[in-house]
Amino acid sequence: MVEHLETPREEFLASVRQALGRSAASPPVPPYPRLEESLADLETLERDLLARLETGRDARLEALAQTAARRGWNVKRAPDPEEALGYLDSVVTQLGVKRAVRSAEAVFQQLAVDSILQRLGIETTIIARDETGSDENRSGAALRQEMIDADIGITGADYAVTETGSVVVLPRAGLSRLVSLAPPVHLALVRPQDVVDTLDDVFLLRRLDYYRNGGDMGSYLNFITGPSRTADIEQTLVVGVHGPKEVHMIILG
Amino acid sequence: MPRVTTQNFFPASVLAVQNAQLQEALRRAGSGFDGARREAIEEVGQGSWDKWREEARQIKVHTLEHLDYYLELLAENVERAGGHVHFAKDAAQANAIVAELATSRRVKVAVKSKSMVSEELNLNEVLEENGVDVYETDLGEYIIQLAGETPSHLVAPALHKTKEEVAQLLHQKLGVPLTDDIEAMARVARDVLRDKFFQADLGISGANFLVAETGTLVIITNEGNGRLCTSAPPIHIGITGMEKVIPSLQDLAVFLRLLPRSATGQPLTSYVSMVSGPRRDGDEDGPEEFHLVLVDNGRSRLLADPDLRESLNCIRCGACLNICPVYQKVGGHAYGWVYPGPIGAVISPTLVGLKQAKDLPFASSLCGACREVCPVKINIPRMLLHQRHLLSESPDPAERSVTLSESLLARLFTIVMSKPTLLAAARKLVRLLARPWARNGTVRRAPLPPASRWTHQRDLPALPTRSFRDLWKQDLASSDRVTDGRDSDSGVSPTGSSEDPSPNRSEDG
Repeated sequence: MVEHLETPREEFLASVRQALGRSAASPPVPPYPRLEESLADLETLERDLLARLETGRDARLEALAQTAARRGWNVKRAPDPEEALGYLDSVVTQLGVKRAVRSAEAVFQQLAVDSILQRLGIETTIIARDETGSDENRSGAALRQEMIDADIGITGADYAVTETGSVVVLPRAGLSRLVSLAPPVHLALVRPQDVVDTLDDVFLLRRLDYYRNGGDMGSYLNFITGPSRTADIEQTLVVGVHGPKEVHMIILG
Repeated sequence: MPRVTTQNFFPASVLAVQNAQLQEALRRAGSGFDGARREAIEEVGQGSWDKWREEARQIKVHTLEHLDYYLELLAENVERAGGHVHFAKDAAQANAIVAELATSRRVKVAVKSKSMVSEELNLNEVLEENGVDVYETDLGEYIIQLAGETPSHLVAPALHKTKEEVAQLLHQKLGVPLTDDIEAMARVARDVLRDKFFQADLGISGANFLVAETGTLVIITNEGNGRLCTSAPPIHIGITGMEKVIPSLQDLAVFLRLLPRSATGQPLTSYVSMVSGPRRDGDEDGPEEFHLVLVDNGRSRLLADPDLRESLNCIRCGACLNICPVYQKVGGHAYGWVYPGPIGAVISPTLVGLKQAKDLPFASSLCGACREVCPVKINIPRMLLHQRHLLSESPDPAERSVTLSESLLARLFTIVMSKPTLLAAARKLVRLLARPWARNGTVRRAPLPPASRWTHQRDLPALPTRSFRDLWKQDLASSDRVTDGRDSDSGVSPTGSSEDPSPNRSEDG
């Protein structure tokens, strides 16, 4: 291990304390309000948030659609499942998709994505060890290769944020980190109940999860806001560097 | 430590101004980022913007005042999430920790997402010495790695290169055909690096923020390389300065609103990735090990100085570079270390030593634009003045910035200014002395310091043949309207003395 190469924690913190002109460890006085909130306080805030999200739902979805479009998403509002599947059909047909990967979230149980892809003759892999029911090997390298070779990656969304036009994904069982990243096209399915107004909303809900799960909110979280971009050469915008060049958002409402 | 050439700012800036290729690259970059930043602020409204800036500043000031507490909280929560935390007091320790982690796990290939701290530490060189192939994966960083150079901008590391230079570089190093298509150049980087992400045994990232409450490392990126570096390899090491910590997850919102808008004018970058420990049991993928290396490397000296502490508020957006008339003319490399521009001029002297960087506090016209654009309201000009003060008063002659002639002149000035008769005599004397050197209203070459130091690079406006005091006494004070300069209100008479075409107005000697 590397302990012998480090500055011991207490020594490091003591040097920081010394720089601050203090001798003993002490929490901030007065305490930092956000870190003093109890789970009950957060739950009160959550109730207010959920009550707010109950109202003006259509306007919120429309605002999401408009902001997301400005951030580079191809947006389709599809209150009707047939419309959503029709849009998916037209996207994969136009792109000439041969291979697709998708994650395994609840939204795929309400929307018959697989049957559309199957009817179009697209080879589809569900990137989830549980679903493939196979051993560790299958779940590791082989699934990864499927994602690298795929023409499109299809995922759900844990949240969508009206303020920023972002989709938020929380990789976990059934949702690889790479489905929305490795293929050149990403398509996200957004359920109306997962749409929130602001970044603050997302972080409040994540904090609740953190405290409810005894100090764990999962290993990873990604805000995705449009396609992969760079402007590193002469500040000229290029779309699609290491991530998807084309992104689609279907709002199911 | 990386090569530090901060002591050469003035000669390096002279060369930079003469470098046609650099000037062309800077001209093409122009005010692109700054224009985008302004538009982004306009969209949200100045009122909201100022409110966010103040909120962010308060958060930073509070966190730094209690940095020991928040670092401890952060470390506990990273460990609770299954990660490891390593504290490094300097570059040597930080590099040794990362090198040991890499070699003990038989790492052959490492991929890196952009990290200014790793540039500060010169980490790549140390890893290479330990037999690790390191690939920078941010397009700008990849370009400068191929060129064997250092970043010249906090956000756009290859800003100093024109597309023609980049094309030539890719052609020479990778054998790809020459092109002037920027999209094709980006595609080359994608194709080359894609395999590396999946071959790599180690992913290294910096951090834009560290959330103490949840033990979370946050990186803000556009290309997707940051996501790949933190997702594909079996080990992830995050390495960053200790000042990046913020208290609560909910504090992050305001910084996500400020940073991308200030950096590139984007309301939000394409990706914000938040790492809380390694993959969990049941996760489909992600690194099995997560290490966070927290680096001091001189930061506690900034923390300890009440006059410089606020420089640690910096979120590395680069807005002060994009607006700075000095940076825009000389580019980033002249500053001689990883942190260029106004904020670099403030922090480098403390991090590398005042003596080694004594030109940097003078690399500013003190116009104040950097303070105006800073998303966390850092008063950069105040700190530059503070450092100039330290330099001019330093007891160490090797550190002192003021030359003998300047310091004698300053003493003389104090004496002259305190006696009106001396001042009047001095006015006459200077006019008399300067007259032979003035041509068409300017002195192009003065014979003696300090005036000669000024005219070495600039023209000095010549003094008018008659001073304001003479004009006042002889022409204006004799008129009926104004009888005495101390007669306050009569100075601007309603009858309008501005209509009086003074015969002396155009006379300038």
